[in-house]
Amino acid sequence: MFGQIKAQDFKQTLQKTFAAFDTTKDAATRVEYSNKLGLISKKWSDEWAGHYYHALTKTILSYNETDEAKRDAYLDEAEREREEAVALLKKENDETYVLAAMIANARLAIKPQTRWQKYGKIFEENLAQAKAINPDNPRIYYLQGISKRFTPKMFGGGKKAALPYFEKAATLFAKETDDDILKINWGKRINEEFLREARGEDEE
Amino acid sequence: MKSIFTLFILVLSCYDALAQYTLSGRISDEKGKPVAGASVYLDNTLDGATTDSLGVFTFRTTETGAQTLVATAVGYSNAGTPLTVDRDISGINLTLKNTARTLEEVTITAGAFEASNDKDKTVLKPLDIVTTAGAQADVIRALETLPGTQKQGTENGLFVRGGDASEAAFIVDGMVVQNAFFSGPPGVTTRSRFGAFQFKGVSFSSGGYSARYGQALSSVLELHSLDLPERSTVNLGVNMAGIYASGSKLWKESGGDVSVFYNNLSPFYGLVKTNFDYYDVPQGFGGSARYAFRPAKNGMVKANVNVNRFSSGVAIPNPGLPGETVRYALTNNNYNGQVSYKQTLKDRWIVYAAGAYSYNHDQSSFDTIPGSLKEQRTQARLEAKYIITNRLNVLGGAELQYFRINNSFAHFERSIDERLTAGYLEAEWVPVYWLAFKPGLRYEYSALLEQNSLAPRLSLAVKTGKNAQVSFAGGIFYQNPDQIYMYTVKPYNQTLEFQKAIHYIGNYQWQKNDRTLRVEAYYKDYHNLMREYWMPDTMAYDPNNFRSLEQNLETGRFRLNNEGTGYATGAEVFWRDRKTVKNADYWISYSYIDTRRLYRNYKSEATPEFTATHNLNVVGKYWIEKLQTQINGTYSYASGRPYYDPTNLTFLGNRSPDYHNLSFTVNYLRSIGKWFTVIYAGVDNVTNRKNVFGYRYSADGMQRYPMVPALYRSFFVGINMSLTEFNKDEL
Repeated sequence: MFGQIKAQDFKQTLQKTFAAFDTTKDAATRVEYSNKLGLISKKWSDEWAGHYYHALTKTILSYNETDEAKRDAYLDEAEREREEAVALLKKENDETYVLAAMIANARLAIKPQTRWQKYGKIFEENLAQAKAINPDNPRIYYLQGISKRFTPKMFGGGKKAALPYFEKAATLFAKETDDDILKINWGKRINEEFLREARGEDEE
Repeated sequence: MKSIFTLFILVLSCYDALAQYTLSGRISDEKGKPVAGASVYLDNTLDGATTDSLGVFTFRTTETGAQTLVATAVGYSNAGTPLTVDRDISGINLTLKNTARTLEEVTITAGAFEASNDKDKTVLKPLDIVTTAGAQADVIRALETLPGTQKQGTENGLFVRGGDASEAAFIVDGMVVQNAFFSGPPGVTTRSRFGAFQFKGVSFSSGGYSARYGQALSSVLELHSLDLPERSTVNLGVNMAGIYASGSKLWKESGGDVSVFYNNLSPFYGLVKTNFDYYDVPQGFGGSARYAFRPAKNGMVKANVNVNRFSSGVAIPNPGLPGETVRYALTNNNYNGQVSYKQTLKDRWIVYAAGAYSYNHDQSSFDTIPGSLKEQRTQARLEAKYIITNRLNVLGGAELQYFRINNSFAHFERSIDERLTAGYLEAEWVPVYWLAFKPGLRYEYSALLEQNSLAPRLSLAVKTGKNAQVSFAGGIFYQNPDQIYMYTVKPYNQTLEFQKAIHYIGNYQWQKNDRTLRVEAYYKDYHNLMREYWMPDTMAYDPNNFRSLEQNLETGRFRLNNEGTGYATGAEVFWRDRKTVKNADYWISYSYIDTRRLYRNYKSEATPEFTATHNLNVVGKYWIEKLQTQINGTYSYASGRPYYDPTNLTFLGNRSPDYHNLSFTVNYLRSIGKWFTVIYAGVDNVTNRKNVFGYRYSADGMQRYPMVPALYRSFFVGINMSLTEFNKDEL
């Protein structure tokens, strides 16, 4: 009974904090809520989701940071927390693979010209693993879309090339519900932004 | 009245039950600078705050009593302090230690230039080498833009810090490359056999290299072949030297590739005037196959075979008779194969085993005289590294080289049969992040020379600042005498010894945000060099590498000993900047050398013919995003090289004119359908400068003839297309 209340408490706190992180665009506020998720993951250290969301937000912070060393340091933290989550889950699942792919993509984004060879491969390998477990995970196609979107045109990337990925992700996102923080469901809103952008180019 | 009082009590007690205190303070780093974005909280609670841009935090908490306040920030180590929360507390100041990449461990850089895809912080990437203008995608020619090397135009090889071509060893995955360059006539340079995209890493040592290697007095170029292919692709190309096709296939835990080529240099030599008459234009064909697989986690097995055949006919300056040309026809067959296995066991042991066989046969005709050079080499290496801690590991290994050379010219025949056995030990110790040691010891035995050598090596590095470090490397290096001397050992019972060099190298390196500065100084001491001691002053010096040795008719022995000596000392600067101009990358390397030797058939101690005192290279690359085009330019300068003038009383006292070369290449990248395409074009020696690498004199000393490269200005155009497996299931 008491444990249930405690778990409920955890879920609500996690939900509230992640939602706050997810809906703000202010960089400093984002850091604040990511830090808060760090506290949550520590306080409820045997809950995989705390570590997962902390890792996710640290990865997102890395994209928005400009100092290269700090960007890598964020990802070091994200990698540690992701591993915590995997250890508590006892094994990898599609979402942990997707997160691993996202971390690799964030590493690549720091120095694309020198890192694409190494991290591009890790990115693809993890997405392939995720897909083998659950091909209907929309975040797989969302991340593939992002990767295509930022790949130079001459290597077969660009907005137009990314469009089918965002479209596929959108149909799968539509099937997801967002009422349970423990059922990973992030990405829908930003996928729609990229979808609009990619379609915008089509009309030109 | 009473009711108000009750209310007051009620409010008071509520306040007490939810007592809230405010905690505030400032978080700073070791230098007192504020740390923004740090998370400050009471341990195991959700009460906390994030610091602002001034490092200031403030938060309210309902927790009371003994608590631990913790501050964490990305890139810093945590800090904490115990405190008793029974009131508002302000002025809590904590200091965080920076642990970001600034505390990266020191790496030993003396004498070593590394280009790797796997490591982040190398001075160069393999792709940087390939795109260097003037190098024509040849790894070795690209290395000639790095400090410590000499520009060459008439002789193959890597000439490093006063060393001749024989003093540099080429290693692929731990195996010695027997024929690093395509065979060619004397006095004409050829390309190296290393493909531009076969390697994931290149480490070029201009001295003080690891105990893993021997038989090189100057330098080791170590190449690491790719593991599994990146992805399944088909690759096609056409250029002025030929056509080629390759395909690679990636399976789950294995992969492989095959390639075939046909080369014909008619278009290349047809477009411009050549300095020599290519009466039979070089042409050849070949192929290679490679397979790699992971037998277990953290293991990799690689195997490859290469087969190729070339033929050519060129009228070259006769090395024995200056001023005359001679028709030189050559057919070359080259086969080699290599297998290696690397396995990491329990994160404690790394074992490596490799074996290789190489066969090379040059059949030539010098005018009408037939010649043959057949080289065969079988080798194996076995080593194990024990990782004691992540700061200390020990490597032990053994190496075996067996090679046989059969050479004939007309009816003269000679041969070398040599077996080299070596064992080595090396430790890497990083006691603290700012200090690294690498001591090593190598033992080697030559069955032909019947001689042992023991070569200690040491390198170390000290981090002197956040971005700067100083390293030192030194050691003793041994090498067999050159082939022309080794032929005499067995048939004439000639006693020869290992030649020996001692290196001392000091290096300073500064690296920050894609800018690198390296300054290096060295001193090299040469001992026991081969010396042809019978040389009366009246006799002219013969610079011909194919001369015959002087024999003592009474004893039948050759007049050879190991009493040659020499030294080389110099300073080098390397600056690379990828930051200042967006999409631009450039490097400048300058080398100064002072070297003198008394060896081979030199009349007296002198600076060798292959050495220019000053070498300068400026390499630039600029990426024009809009045009999807990369423009690369290289300017090379070398001061004049010594040459022998029989009328000059100072031996090798003359200097050839300075060398200048300006080269450009343009790479245009685009997708054509599903094919990723690179179109490239280049001009070497844009100004068509007539570079001269020295002079040869006629026998009577009256006439001199310049030594020139096969081409002055040259053009190169080609296209490469690759198709990556299109995965239909991706969506």
